[in-house]
Amino acid sequence: MSAVMEAAPTATRKQSQNSWAAVIALALFEARRLLITIPVLLGFLVYAAWIVWRAQDYADGYPALQDADRATQGGPLLVGLAVLLAVNQAVLRSLRRDTERHFTVLVMSRAHRTAAHLLSVVPAALLTAVCVAGQFGWQALKPGALGHGSLGELLVGPLTVLAFGAAGVLIARVIRTPFTAPLVVVFFLFLFLLSTGAGIDEGWTRWLTPVIGVSSSNTLPSDLIGRPAAWHALYLAALGLTVALLAMLAGGGHRARSVYAGFAGALALTVLGAVAQGQGVSSEVTAARERATLHPEHVQTCVERDGSRYCAFPEWRGRTAEWARTVAEVRSLAGGTAHDQSLLVRQRLDARYGLDGDAALDPATTPHQVTVGTTWGGNRVPEFSAAVAGVLVTGDEKTTGELCDGRMVTIMWLALAGQSDPIGSLKNVRLDDSVSGSAIVLSQTNPLSMTAGQTTVVRKLLEQPRDGVAAKVRTNWTELTSPKVTTARVAELLGVKAKVGADKCN
Amino acid sequence: MRLSGALLVPVLRTLPWRALGAAGAVGLLIVSMARLSDAADEPLALNLLRAGVLAFTLGLAFVLDDPARHTTTPVPTRRPARHALRVALVAPVTAAWWTAAVLLVPDGIRPPVGDVTLEAGAAFTLALAASAAAVRFSQAAEPGQAVAGAVLTTAVLGLLLWPERWALFVATQDPKWAQAHDRWGMVLVGAVVVWGACGPEPLRRRVVLKPTRV
Repeated sequence: MSAVMEAAPTATRKQSQNSWAAVIALALFEARRLLITIPVLLGFLVYAAWIVWRAQDYADGYPALQDADRATQGGPLLVGLAVLLAVNQAVLRSLRRDTERHFTVLVMSRAHRTAAHLLSVVPAALLTAVCVAGQFGWQALKPGALGHGSLGELLVGPLTVLAFGAAGVLIARVIRTPFTAPLVVVFFLFLFLLSTGAGIDEGWTRWLTPVIGVSSSNTLPSDLIGRPAAWHALYLAALGLTVALLAMLAGGGHRARSVYAGFAGALALTVLGAVAQGQGVSSEVTAARERATLHPEHVQTCVERDGSRYCAFPEWRGRTAEWARTVAEVRSLAGGTAHDQSLLVRQRLDARYGLDGDAALDPATTPHQVTVGTTWGGNRVPEFSAAVAGVLVTGDEKTTGELCDGRMVTIMWLALAGQSDPIGSLKNVRLDDSVSGSAIVLSQTNPLSMTAGQTTVVRKLLEQPRDGVAAKVRTNWTELTSPKVTTARVAELLGVKAKVGADKCN
Repeated sequence: MRLSGALLVPVLRTLPWRALGAAGAVGLLIVSMARLSDAADEPLALNLLRAGVLAFTLGLAFVLDDPARHTTTPVPTRRPARHALRVALVAPVTAAWWTAAVLLVPDGIRPPVGDVTLEAGAAFTLALAASAAAVRFSQAAEPGQAVAGAVLTTAVLGLLLWPERWALFVATQDPKWAQAHDRWGMVLVGAVVVWGACGPEPLRRRVVLKPTRV
C-alpha cells in the first residue's frame, strides 16, 4: 500500500520531465527542418552573400565600429521574413497533412507542440547572431578600425529573427489558413518600403519598427550618437517574448497560469522599452554634442609628430599617424618656408544634429590650422591633402576656400602628386569625376573650384615625372604662392604649354 | 461542353475564395496608401501597385488547389478543361480587382496603365504556371501553400538579385522602361507556354513510395 502511495508522485514527475524532454526533441527536429526549408536556406545564402559583398570596401577599409554595428541590421530582416514563412508552414503541417487528430492522442499537448515550434526558431536566430558577429568582427579586425561597437545595436539582427519567428507561430495558431503568412510577409515588405521610401514616421513611433535607419552618413564619436540602442534591444526582445507567449496562449497554453504571468511581464517590459527608447536625446548628450562641435579642444587630445600638432577625439588617436604621413608627403613637395611649416591638424565635426542631419563645416580661420574629418580612406585622403596643401600655400583654410588665381594649380599638384594614382585621385576629388573642364573640388570644409585652364595645367603636371616638377616648384615657390599670380604665369613657370584662359570664378 | 456546364457551379463553389479575398484585400490596402499618403509620388505609386500585385498573385497561387484531384483523374473532362474553367471563373474577379487597384492610384501619379497591366498579367500568369507545374510534377493535391512560398521567395530574390542587364523592375522615368516591358511580355509568353505544357494529365502516374516532404 505504502509502496503504491510513494510510487505515484514519482511517476507524475517523470511524466512531466518526459514531456519537456519531448518538447526539446521536437524543437530540435523542427529546427533542423526549418533550417533546410527552401526560403530559409535561400534567405541565409543571400544574407551571407550580402555580408561578403558589403564587407569588401566598407568605409574604404577604415571603419568606425560605432557605424559598423548598425550596418549589421538590414540583412537579418530578410532571414526573419523567411523564418516567419517557414515556421508558419511547419506549424500548419499537421493541419495540411491531416495528422492533427493523431497528435491529440499523444502525451504531448498542443501547448507543448507550440512551445517546441517557438523553440525551433532559436537556432536560426543563433545562426544569425553568428553571421552578425562575423560581419562585425570582420570590420573590427581591420587595421584601420577604431571606435566602439554597441551590443544593443548588434543584438537587433538576431532579435528581429526571433520576433519574426514568434510572429509566424502566432499567425499559424490564430489564423489556421495557409495563405496568411505569405500575405503578412508582403505586408511587412510594404511597410519597410514605405518606411524607407517616404520617411513618414518621426518621433518616438519610428523606434517601434525593428530596424531604424539614420538619414546621415556622418561618423560621430560613440558617446555622441545618442541612439537608445540598449533600450531598443530590450524592446525587441520583450516584443518577441510577448508575441511568443501570445502564441502559447493561442496554442493551447491558456490553462497555465505561468503563461499568463509571463505574458503580462513581457508586455510590461515591451511598454517599458517602448517608452524608454522614445525619450529622445538626453540633455547630457546634447551638451556633449555642442561641446564637441563648438569647442573641440576641450575634449580632444593632441600629439606632436614631426613638429606638427595633431588634435583628435580620443577614439581617433590611433589615426594621427596616417594624417601625419599625408602631411609629410605634401610638405616634402613644398618649397620655401612651407617645407618646414608646423601645422595644427584639428579634427572637427558638426554633431549638433546627431545622425539625423548633415551640416557643412565652416573653414578654420586660424593660421596654419587644417581641418580633418572623422572618416578616412578612399576619397578622404586626397581631400585632406588638398586642405593641407591649401593651408601651406595660402596660410589658412578660409583663404583657400576663396581662392581664385594661379595658386590653385600649386595646391592641387601638391595635394595629388604624392598619391599613388594622381590622375585617379584628381578624378575622385572633383565633384563630377572629370579630368577636364572646370569643376568643384570636394573638401571637408568649403569646396574649392578649378577652372578649365587650371585643370589642364594640373593634369599635365601630374603626367610628368614628380621629381622634375617638384624641383621647379621649389625654385619658383615665392612667385607660385604669391597672391594674384595668374594661371598662365604659373603654367609658364612650371614649363607647361597649354592654352589657359583668364582666371574666372563664380 | 455540357459536362463543363455541369461543372460550373461545383467549381465555382470550391474555388479558394477566402484566399483570393484575403489577398485582394491586402493588395487593395497596400495600393490605397497611394491615395491616403500625402507624400505619394509616381515611383512610390508604382512600387505600391507592384506590392499589391504580389499580394494578389499569392492568392492566385491557390486557384489550382483541388483536394479531389486524385479522384477526378479518370473523368472524361480533362484537366486542361477543368483548369481553364477555374481560371475563366477567376479571371473576371482578377480584372475587377485590378481595375479597382489602378483606380485607387490618383490620376496624377498613376504609372502608364497598359505597361503596368502587362507586368501584373505576367505576374498572375507566372503564379498560375507555377501552380500548374506543381500539380503536374507532384502528387500534391493542394500545392498552393508551397507555390505561394515559392512565388514570394522568387519575387523578393528577383527584386534583390535580378541582373541589371535584363532589368525588369524599372522606374517610369527610366529610359529602359520600354525595353523592360518587352521583357515582361516575354515573361508572360513564357509563363503561358509553361502553363500549357503542364496542363495535360500525365499518361503514367508517378508512384511515390516514400512519404512526400514539404
